[in-house]
Amino acid sequence: MNGFGSYHPAVLFSYYVLAVSFSMFSMHPVIILASVAGGFLLFGAQNGIRKLFKELGFFLVLFLLMSLVNPLFIHNGETVLFFMNDNPITLEAIIYGSMASLMIVGVLLWCRCYGAILTTEKFLYLFGKLIPKLGLILSMVFRFIPLFKVQIRKINQSQKTMGLYATDSVADKIGGGVRVFDSLVSWSMENSIDTADAMKARGYGLPGRTNFTLFRFRKRDGILMAVMGALAAAVFTGFAWGSYGFYYYPYVAEISRDIQSAAAYLIVLAFMCIPGILELKEKVSWNYLKSKI
Amino acid sequence: MKKQNEKMACPEAMDAETALENTAPYNLKRLVGWIVLVVGVILLIRLGIRLLADRKYNLVSVMIALLACVPFYFTYEKREGSIRRMVMIAVMTAIAVLGRLIFGPIPAFKPMAAIIILTGIYMGPESGFLVGSLEAVVSNIFFGQGPWTPFQMLTLGLTGLLSGLPGLRALLRRRLPLAIWGLLMGIMYSGIMDIWTVLSLIDGFNWHRYLLALSTALPYTITYMVSNVVFLMLTIKPIGEKLNRIQIKHGIF
Repeated sequence: MNGFGSYHPAVLFSYYVLAVSFSMFSMHPVIILASVAGGFLLFGAQNGIRKLFKELGFFLVLFLLMSLVNPLFIHNGETVLFFMNDNPITLEAIIYGSMASLMIVGVLLWCRCYGAILTTEKFLYLFGKLIPKLGLILSMVFRFIPLFKVQIRKINQSQKTMGLYATDSVADKIGGGVRVFDSLVSWSMENSIDTADAMKARGYGLPGRTNFTLFRFRKRDGILMAVMGALAAAVFTGFAWGSYGFYYYPYVAEISRDIQSAAAYLIVLAFMCIPGILELKEKVSWNYLKSKI
Repeated sequence: MKKQNEKMACPEAMDAETALENTAPYNLKRLVGWIVLVVGVILLIRLGIRLLADRKYNLVSVMIALLACVPFYFTYEKREGSIRRMVMIAVMTAIAVLGRLIFGPIPAFKPMAAIIILTGIYMGPESGFLVGSLEAVVSNIFFGQGPWTPFQMLTLGLTGLLSGLPGLRALLRRRLPLAIWGLLMGIMYSGIMDIWTVLSLIDGFNWHRYLLALSTALPYTITYMVSNVVFLMLTIKPIGEKLNRIQIKHGIF
């Protein structure tokens, strides 16, 4: 298969980061709808129509639940529909709640697709060199904490045998603490050098070690990256110009319909639909080729 | 680069300036790395707050820790003594965590910021950020993780990063500037953590609430400042001199 998933991991990862942050940072209905549409397109192209409808039910329940909760707790807005327990239920709160829950549905959808496309293998290819490093540092820290505690006790005891008792006076206690701390620091640093040398002797981080990966940054990755970058830059300009600004309280803003905003909406829609279209194109051509056999 | 190699070959020939800085050369790439790091962490936190109402703080913390490794990795990976430096990072983090554990019963009076400041001064800004952020996430395993963890990682990391900035490193090795710096860092810690306090209230952030939170946290801020100064003065000799010595002795450049 040569769908969206076959692109270079770096391209896929940056696309997801951008798509998810666009969907989360704006409450503009067009962006949210575009994100949900793109997410459903990709999900449908990946898993087929039947699976899509099955999931649709789950997301519908989630959507209804979350959009009903908001008006129960938020009473802002000037269009009061009715009163419940003396609390006004407003149209604005309902609209806001449904948009917010749609946003969460969209993000969840993207995360679903993300798992299928940016597999662990690709993630490790991108961050593999950092994760072992972080993991190693963290595991050393967890080892050092109890080790240092034991060492503090040892230092304390040996200082006592040397006659360096701490009396009850505060200054004396602080002095004793600093003395123990002082020798703990020197000991732990020298000890750490030993650890590092032992690791080096056993070949940690030698350059000869290679690992095989299939990923190469090809021309088509470059093209997709460029298209994505251009669209994303356009979206960022839209944010800067306020084309995606929107408010719900005290009354819902109107979606502006001039040409500039229409272009801004089209750009977002195009950005969100890239993976779905690529995936769909691949599915269609695959089926077409299969039908010719 | 060649000049650097020569210095590595014969550490005793180093001039005083290099011995003081004792790290990779400063260039534009590193500066970009610092900026990307700080901006990236702030974005991650914002993303975490937007996504599922701040419930994913564990994921965010891990991502910040990963991000904190990136500049460290790119600055020091190809350099002499990179394994030693990595183990030293682990040691400093463990010492800072232990410091917080020992002073656990006394609220806000903690040596961790002082240790992180010293790490930044003596081991460089990248190391400072890494130790600061790891210290926050590791010690919160004992003190309780929560939505505040990413903020602490950012604040303590920033403390380490700022302390390691090129001009300050040499200056802060003297006691008086260091004490003033400790006061400033205490104010910064309180200032950034109060952003979290305000954000954690239901209706979000506004400046009025922020000022109110700042004023109610004043006793804490003062405790942070005092503890920073006290611990900096107490630990500059044990930690600072030894960090310097060990890096020169074992060629961690």
